[in-house]
Amino acid sequence: MKYLPLVWAGLWRRPARTIFTFLSITVAFILFGILAAISGGLAHAVNAARVDRLIADPKFGTNMPYAYVDRVAGLPGVTVVAPRQILVGYYRDPKQAFGIVMSDRRFFAVRPELTATKEQIDLLMRTRTGALITVLSAKQFGWKVGDRVPVISNTVKKDGSKVWTFDILGIIDNVDQPGRSRFFISNYDYVDEERTLEKGTIDRMLVRIKDPARATATSRAIDAMFANSGAPTRTGSEKSQAQTGVQSIGDIGFFIRAVIVAVLFMLLFLTGNTMMQSVRERGAEFAVLKAMGYSDTKLLAIVMAESIILCLMAGLAGLAIAKLGIPRIADLDPDTGRLLLMPWSAIGTGMGFALLVALVSALAPGLRARRLSITDALAGR
Amino acid sequence: MKQIIAVTLMNLRTVPDRLGSSLVVVVGMACAVGALVSILSMSAGFLRTMESTGSPDRAIVLSDGALGEWGSTLSRETVTTLSDMPGVQTDPKFKRVVSADYSGYTVVAKKDDGLDAYVTVRGVGPANAALRPEIKLVSGRMFRPGQYEIITGVAAQSQFAGLKEGDRVSLPEGEWLVVGTFESGGSMTESELLADAATLMSSMRTTAFKSFTVRLNSPDALALFKRSVTSRPGPALQIERETDYFADQSRSFTKFLNTIAYVVGGIMGLGAMFGALNTMYSAVSSRQREIATLRALGFGAGAVVTSVIVEALLFCAAGALVGIAVALALFNGNEHALGGMVIRLAVTPQLAVTGAGFALVLGLVGGLLPGIRAARLPVATALRAV
Repeated sequence: MKYLPLVWAGLWRRPARTIFTFLSITVAFILFGILAAISGGLAHAVNAARVDRLIADPKFGTNMPYAYVDRVAGLPGVTVVAPRQILVGYYRDPKQAFGIVMSDRRFFAVRPELTATKEQIDLLMRTRTGALITVLSAKQFGWKVGDRVPVISNTVKKDGSKVWTFDILGIIDNVDQPGRSRFFISNYDYVDEERTLEKGTIDRMLVRIKDPARATATSRAIDAMFANSGAPTRTGSEKSQAQTGVQSIGDIGFFIRAVIVAVLFMLLFLTGNTMMQSVRERGAEFAVLKAMGYSDTKLLAIVMAESIILCLMAGLAGLAIAKLGIPRIADLDPDTGRLLLMPWSAIGTGMGFALLVALVSALAPGLRARRLSITDALAGR
Repeated sequence: MKQIIAVTLMNLRTVPDRLGSSLVVVVGMACAVGALVSILSMSAGFLRTMESTGSPDRAIVLSDGALGEWGSTLSRETVTTLSDMPGVQTDPKFKRVVSADYSGYTVVAKKDDGLDAYVTVRGVGPANAALRPEIKLVSGRMFRPGQYEIITGVAAQSQFAGLKEGDRVSLPEGEWLVVGTFESGGSMTESELLADAATLMSSMRTTAFKSFTVRLNSPDALALFKRSVTSRPGPALQIERETDYFADQSRSFTKFLNTIAYVVGGIMGLGAMFGALNTMYSAVSSRQREIATLRALGFGAGAVVTSVIVEALLFCAAGALVGIAVALALFNGNEHALGGMVIRLAVTPQLAVTGAGFALVLGLVGGLLPGIRAARLPVATALRAV
């Protein structure tokens, strides 16, 4: 500890150099934080996906008959099956299209993370054109309970119009992602009575099962039931689907590792160079220290300590900026923010990398200080 | 000018003595430019694929409000009336050069990691060969209408398992036989499977088409075709030139990739720029005496600033070249399956220019500040220093 002032003074010998190196490291660790947040966000999506919820989709992209719902509900171990049809439309801005979940009360039974109360659901069931929306959707469009909103869809109604009117009955939220989840839920009967094509069909079934251990067996049973029909299904647990989804985005993990390696490589050069310059300039000072009785190893330790302090402080600054800044991004753009989640453990990993960079990059300069011959250095050779 | 050259050359001659710190700039810039160009090569490859899929003398019709083919439905009656619209090219054999397409998907395994991928299965009409002449069989034969047969694109075949000729692909009503392989000039269609629309739709028990594509008499016939379609009775439709349609379709994804590229590359570039500032400041301060001597001899401040900037730019340009070369060697031409679509990464000359420009802008900033400081040094003080 008593050497701290010495180390500190060494760092600030050339403030510009230290500050620029500090900023480089900080910036690199901001990037590290962002990358950690991307992989953290994906991991969270997989973790939040439930094992007791199966998703049955059409195997070849054609809608499934509504009658499938009751057949699946009859399978052992299945507690509830919700039909779903997505109605795609937009409100005012054609560029901001969104999907409306057309289902019924069973949807809330398979998605208990939605906070709809029994009264709200009952009201929705009584109001054919009713809709429950999440806080985020309400905020985005500026809708309140009681509003009657027109949504333009590419699904034509039987009167030839494409304007679907919805009555906002209640505002709900998703406890898994409070304030960051988009949902707009209305009645299946509304869409099916009004549309002209694909009547009596659904684009997804959500299946709740009693025993998560039976997820694979139940999925197979569902697919087997419809295998030889015109609309076979493809079923899997929400969790396995989330995993496949994350993997299919591409080799995100590979990409993140490649960038981190490039960044660390860059940092090694940068910090190594800074430390080397600093040690070269201070030949005479080190020689004086040695002459005063500082051991070779102590000088090595002093150089190492400078590098460690610089890297750890800059690394911590970068990680802190990322940790504090990422939720702000999420506030600005919830759809991007939902994908970003920087875990606390990333700070630990990041500091580990900072330490590694510090040690490796200070090795050569430190050894140089250690080897330094007093007479040569004092003679300016 | 002569002064600038003289000072710059003098500076550059000292580079070997400062090899370590100069390398920092080169390596830092190489990493930043390499990351930028590599990620951009993905979006450039995607864009190239999408652009080569569209043709200016084809128009695509979707139901109004559909964001893409997947969200569109066209009834049989609509499709029939569309075929007779003016502006559509005629052909002695097929009468009208059009195709009403149906597209679904099937699940296949990616060859490299065995993960599931959704591959588009496109049902096309009888006049498809005249409509899309770029689709050429490279082996095997064409599918026969009424039979459960498909042909597969070369990109799909190379990236996904189970799509060789003679293989059977799981589709409605059982297994469909792969009877041929086609290429289509590197377009998106090469990642798809093609079948007869009528056969595919009857097996899927659907009567609604997804899209309708026509070959126009000439690229200028779009207006006439559009006017005729819009003024006919029946549900509203959207008509787009095929090239515009595919450009629209690729926009959000390329924007997403470009954002990632510029965020990652930009942050790394910022780090590299601080490294350059550092190197140039220390270069300037170690040459205080030389610079002051030159100034005393009558060299202008401009020459000194320029020489520092030129030096920084040279380092950054070298770094950019290394970065671009690495990206080119590692990624150019690589095929990459994103979901069911195969992208061939492309490090285009344009990307190289972008990467180099990016490095030079950062180099300019990295050289300007130290250069100004060098020029501002009071001559007398600097000569007395050290």
